[in-house]
Amino acid sequence: MSLYFLRRLLQLIPTFAFILLVVFVLVRLLPGDPVSAILGVHAKDADVARIKHDLGLDQPIPVQFLFFLKSVAIGDLGTSIQLKLPVVSLIAQRLPVTVMLTVMAALMAVLMAVPLAFIAALRRDGAADSTIRGAFQVGLSMPVFYLGLILLTVFGARLGWFPVGGYGEGFIDHVYHLFLPAFSLALSLAAILMRNLRASIIGVVDAEYVVFARSKGIAPLIILVRHVLRSALISTVALFGLSVGTLLGGAVITETVFAIPGAGRLMIDSIYGRDYPVVQGMTMALAVVVSLTFFLTDMVEAWLDPRVAR
Amino acid sequence: MKIVSLAALAAALFVSGSLAANATDRGGVMTYGRYADSMFLDPVLNDANVDIWVLSNIYDTLLLPTDDGQDVQAGLATDWKVSDDGMTVTLKLRKDIKFSDGSPILPSDVVWSLKRAATPDNGIWGFLVSAIKDITGSDDGTIVISLNRPDPSIIPALTVFNTAIMPEKLFEAAPGATDAEKAKAFAEHPVGSGPFMFDSWERGSTMKLVKNPYYWALGDDGKPLPYLDGVTFEVIPDDATRILKLQSGDLDGAEFIPYARVAELKTADNLNMELFPSTKIVYLSMNVRPQVDGADNPLSNPKVRQALNYATNKDAIIQIVTMGVGSPMKSFMSSATPLNSGTGPLFPYDLEKAKALMAEAGYPDGFSTSLLVLAGNQDDLSIGTAVQQMWAAIGVKLELKQVDNATRTDLYRNGHFFMQTSTWTDDIADPSEITSYFAYSPTIESQHSGWKSDEADKLFEQSQSERDPAKRAAEYARIQELHNTDGPLVFLYESPYPVALNKKVNGFIQIPLGNNIFRAASLTK
Repeated sequence: MSLYFLRRLLQLIPTFAFILLVVFVLVRLLPGDPVSAILGVHAKDADVARIKHDLGLDQPIPVQFLFFLKSVAIGDLGTSIQLKLPVVSLIAQRLPVTVMLTVMAALMAVLMAVPLAFIAALRRDGAADSTIRGAFQVGLSMPVFYLGLILLTVFGARLGWFPVGGYGEGFIDHVYHLFLPAFSLALSLAAILMRNLRASIIGVVDAEYVVFARSKGIAPLIILVRHVLRSALISTVALFGLSVGTLLGGAVITETVFAIPGAGRLMIDSIYGRDYPVVQGMTMALAVVVSLTFFLTDMVEAWLDPRVAR
Repeated sequence: MKIVSLAALAAALFVSGSLAANATDRGGVMTYGRYADSMFLDPVLNDANVDIWVLSNIYDTLLLPTDDGQDVQAGLATDWKVSDDGMTVTLKLRKDIKFSDGSPILPSDVVWSLKRAATPDNGIWGFLVSAIKDITGSDDGTIVISLNRPDPSIIPALTVFNTAIMPEKLFEAAPGATDAEKAKAFAEHPVGSGPFMFDSWERGSTMKLVKNPYYWALGDDGKPLPYLDGVTFEVIPDDATRILKLQSGDLDGAEFIPYARVAELKTADNLNMELFPSTKIVYLSMNVRPQVDGADNPLSNPKVRQALNYATNKDAIIQIVTMGVGSPMKSFMSSATPLNSGTGPLFPYDLEKAKALMAEAGYPDGFSTSLLVLAGNQDDLSIGTAVQQMWAAIGVKLELKQVDNATRTDLYRNGHFFMQTSTWTDDIADPSEITSYFAYSPTIESQHSGWKSDEADKLFEQSQSERDPAKRAAEYARIQELHNTDGPLVFLYESPYPVALNKKVNGFIQIPLGNNIFRAASLTK
């Protein structure tokens, strides 16, 4: 297990290096450049050329990459061209917001999916099963953008239970502000997890070892948790890990609708503005988050099913 | 006796009632929803409207634009005079003026700030004050600006954001080796002498400004402005959410209301839907070079350009895109730009004339061309599809190419385009800025269109040092005639700034140049 842990950790290093190179080159292959993007269509050629030179953007891409590697090595991710702020401090401001939103959404999804999957699976094809599956089908097919606006209008503007967008100040206030956006993000993930887990439980519940355990007279709850849930969860955990990337992608839209100053919105603005240092730095930071999630879910999977670690 | 005292009471009530109606309420923080956050709060080195349009609340200038954006009024300077030969501007500083940290504004701060603004290659706005040769200041508060040529736009230039007066000592004390590095540090916590001072800034979310206790201007109650204790900007990029927050009372005002929602918000009980006059124009710019990417370009023929203008039903587009809020253009510069010489809408819709012009130009059956539109921008798409249908009537097959802004800018700046949707807003209450970009080819080849008129170029150069206002107006009239007749634009519309305000907000304006002015804004209690 610990060897597996180490091996997986070491694998992350070349992954990051590869992502770094690809993003660096790709963002520069896009048409346009940060200076004309920020100065706009009316800019004068001399101004564009001068500012490009000041930023070192008139150098060949390999040279720029070497300079970039040199700064990364000393922990400097550069300065935002649009916002004139160090990328490191931008990441420190924005990433925690998105991570918090994603974690809240993931928690909500799991809390909704696991119990409901059990109910649906154990009352297979009954009224409860149909209701749960039907409700989630609606959640899954509703665009996050639209769902977000409905939630804002009803629970924010009309009923006044939740703030109409924004992020608030202080941890408790953040949680309060992020409740609706996290919920709108969580719904589709919960639907996917619930369907997957329900199918797995149905597959396991009639397996021979469960029937055997039952015939030995073990308490039903212990059977459910120790034998059914543990093996049914394996594929769901893998699916959950993969979905975190999707959640982060959905966060971009959610952050715009709910006016949350997170990494997703910054990323979109930076791509449109060709703010190379921010795109690079943010991609790296998001890659770390996603990789860590994969890593953690791999570890959980290995704990649930020791064969994985072999 | 009883009757008398009742009358006195009534009189007293009347007096206090009328007092309450006249004196503006003080206090309160106005929360204003913006579509995007500011980026860089340095008056000289910034490059975007998201900065420009809020800077004047923090940084004061020697002179201020009037509310109609057409003229100037006193700012940090109380008197200003241009010498008879047009080579010197003499200004008198207001007495006892202070920066928001309480330190005095010295003549040396003025000299330093204007020199910084006029330094060539310092930012992109230096051209507005390129006539400045030297500045001196004396202890009695006299500022003398000497020019290298008479410049008829030097007075309005002293109202523009880049000539804001900054505290030299504080700026120079900021960490960094170069001016650009110091500016980055200083702009994180800027200090100026505008009606408000910077308090805090959560990037992408909230910027808080608070009342500057040392601001010089007085309110209608004889006490210093501003009336508000502060202004808080909230960044809410999604239009629907921004409006929702206004309706729920979280915001006191919201900018960039989509035209489609204007009529609805006009009927809301608790809101004032404002349409502030602007210098914003919306048009298509055409590439008029004979060849584009190796292909022959019909747009190089002035008759074709006129035909496209006649075939464009401007009134219909104003209805479709702005829901009737816009108005047709009378010249390439907006009606709010000084010296606009337009008399009526340009190229009123006339399909027969358009067909005749196409035939004269040698394209009786039309041709194919393309238009760059901003991907995801609803106005752009509506304009694109509308002209696509309108021009089909004269045989023009228009391909809409949807690209993101950076791509579009790149294609446009390098001449790889036939047409593109475009907008413009003036930064100065003077026609010289827009004219230098639109009609004077040395600046950016007339909007990168390749259009060039030797006469317009010559007239513009003359007008830049013209001291006789009547002659200058005549020069501008002729430039507009030349450009409006066969220039590189398809004229669409002028549009106001749609801002929705809670009914308790008074005195807020967005001037035609786009600046959001909170100095006389107040909240009714």
